[in-house]
Amino acid sequence: MGVQVHELVGAVHEAAWLPWAVQYFFLVAISVTALLLSLPAFAFGREDMVAQGRLALMTAVTTGITAPIALLADLHQPFRFWEFFVYTHKTSWMAWGAWIVPSYVGLTLAFAWAVHRPGFAALGRGEWRYARLFRWLSLGGESNAFARPLGIAAGIAAIGILTYTGTEVMVVRARPLWNTPFLPLQFAATGFVGALGVMLVLERSLIRNVALEARLNRLLAVALAVVGALGIAWYGVAISGISPRHTQALASVAGFPVWHRIVYWAGLAVAIPFALALLAPRRSGWITGLIAIHAAWMFRWTVFMGGQAVPKVGSGLYDAMMPTGLTGLMGVIGTFGLWLFLFIAYTTFMPWDEAQLPEGDTPDTPARPARSV
Amino acid sequence: MDTTRRGFFGAIGQVTIGAAATVAGATSAAEAASEDGHVPHWGMVVDLRKCIGCQACTVACIMENHVPEDAFRTHVSVYELVKDGHDPAMVMLPRLCNHCDDPPCIPVCPVEATFKAENGEVLVDADKCVGCAYCVQACPYDARFINHETQTADKCTFCFHRTQSGLLPACVETCVGGARNFGDLNDPGSEVATLLRENEVSVLRPEMHTNPNVYYIGLDDVLQGRVAGEAAYHPEMPAEVTHHGEGL
Repeated sequence: MGVQVHELVGAVHEAAWLPWAVQYFFLVAISVTALLLSLPAFAFGREDMVAQGRLALMTAVTTGITAPIALLADLHQPFRFWEFFVYTHKTSWMAWGAWIVPSYVGLTLAFAWAVHRPGFAALGRGEWRYARLFRWLSLGGESNAFARPLGIAAGIAAIGILTYTGTEVMVVRARPLWNTPFLPLQFAATGFVGALGVMLVLERSLIRNVALEARLNRLLAVALAVVGALGIAWYGVAISGISPRHTQALASVAGFPVWHRIVYWAGLAVAIPFALALLAPRRSGWITGLIAIHAAWMFRWTVFMGGQAVPKVGSGLYDAMMPTGLTGLMGVIGTFGLWLFLFIAYTTFMPWDEAQLPEGDTPDTPARPARSV
Repeated sequence: MDTTRRGFFGAIGQVTIGAAATVAGATSAAEAASEDGHVPHWGMVVDLRKCIGCQACTVACIMENHVPEDAFRTHVSVYELVKDGHDPAMVMLPRLCNHCDDPPCIPVCPVEATFKAENGEVLVDADKCVGCAYCVQACPYDARFINHETQTADKCTFCFHRTQSGLLPACVETCVGGARNFGDLNDPGSEVATLLRENEVSVLRPEMHTNPNVYYIGLDDVLQGRVAGEAAYHPEMPAEVTHHGEGL
């Protein structure tokens, strides 16, 4: 029986999760994956990974501070954030996230402090304007042996972030595009893509080490291959019909030209940096890095804003593909502005390029009588 | 118990209009739950054969509940259906919160601001809601929204403030054709229970297994879930959505 349906009167629903949410998921994924990329050097003592670890740690800290601010801004009642900790609802992944996020940020900051402590101590020994500040930051010592356990704890919290952010969205059965076990894996894989993209851009602008550029490009190619494989697997499951919810998800968007363009766009955003990273790993860092950042951001924009544009009961697409007005755009501009500010502050005031492997399991050295003022 | 609009009019001969609340109030939740231990379970049966799409329910709800201009707690979707090339048929579909027995909006709420009341209503404690909109995402019926005046989640309450006083929900009270019927599903003698017994009824999105308490008489299968058809209003992307065909 052929049925044609024309909606004559219907309500249009706005996106309830705003671009702030896109920014949060983008930044926190970059932070946790960058943190994981810093662990080989600063938690497990791999000396050949120190240069990579420095960039990774800087990325993890700056995005890790910015992300929760974007998350808070997405609450319509931000001053009630304390209720997350007073009325924790155990069945809600968001409630668990409220505990995991501050744990992760705290542990990451403690880990970064431990890694940089010898640098703080060195800066505090001189006779210059901010020496007193760095002596205070070093807490009167320079041992960083505890960086290892702090790094491992931060890494566990990072895995907690990847788990909760992916599952929080995946469990929403009302949105077929979100309700897929592929989503947490896609968030993680595109998080690595974004983190490596940021690290490539930082490497090009701060270090200019061709060997490091080639290594980061190779890692990026692996991450992009995983993203591509996950995308193909999702499409295969959807088209095969073995999973009704995946088939329903594909059917809900397959007829719309705007989604065709998104698919082509996503394909190019994966294929182009993948090819460049493999073919010219020593001279493509700028372009592969920027495209990788764009790809990680675009994936989340498509998932959240595009996903909310698909009606649950109505016809067509809701007008949620683009945020309206300055309010929507401020979520994007504001968080990127804060992130940029933190990068400038980090590279200006932190001894990031002096970060070294943690000491062995030696006890803390006693505080040195370093003060001379 | 008789909490339909028709039943209400039947009582007019006995009491004044001003006292109508008292008539319906005889079955208010508080009283019904007393003594014999009977607890009403509110539900709605929408007889689509009687709905004329006048939107009186939509307006009554907005006026009763001070719903902001850019949102609806209930509205009537109107569709034109053409089957096998026959003459088009106009079909109405009143939509509202289904006050599900297994509501997906409740487990996701991070602060337990949304809850199921004793008589089955799914409610939001606006003083507790943080406005995270997770429940808005989880609702399979698009029945929730963020109220930009209160900055909290908002939805149909089955007019809780009215039913507590023994009144009908505003949409039922104002329904011109008597399409909306409201009452106690636990009471075999109620009109809604009778309608469920005597008619073939459907619910929206049964595949979500939410056990809704809003039932429809005469619901076309193509309108049960997401309606795959041409949309009514898309000012931003008109060229892209007017000629699409859904499905693989």
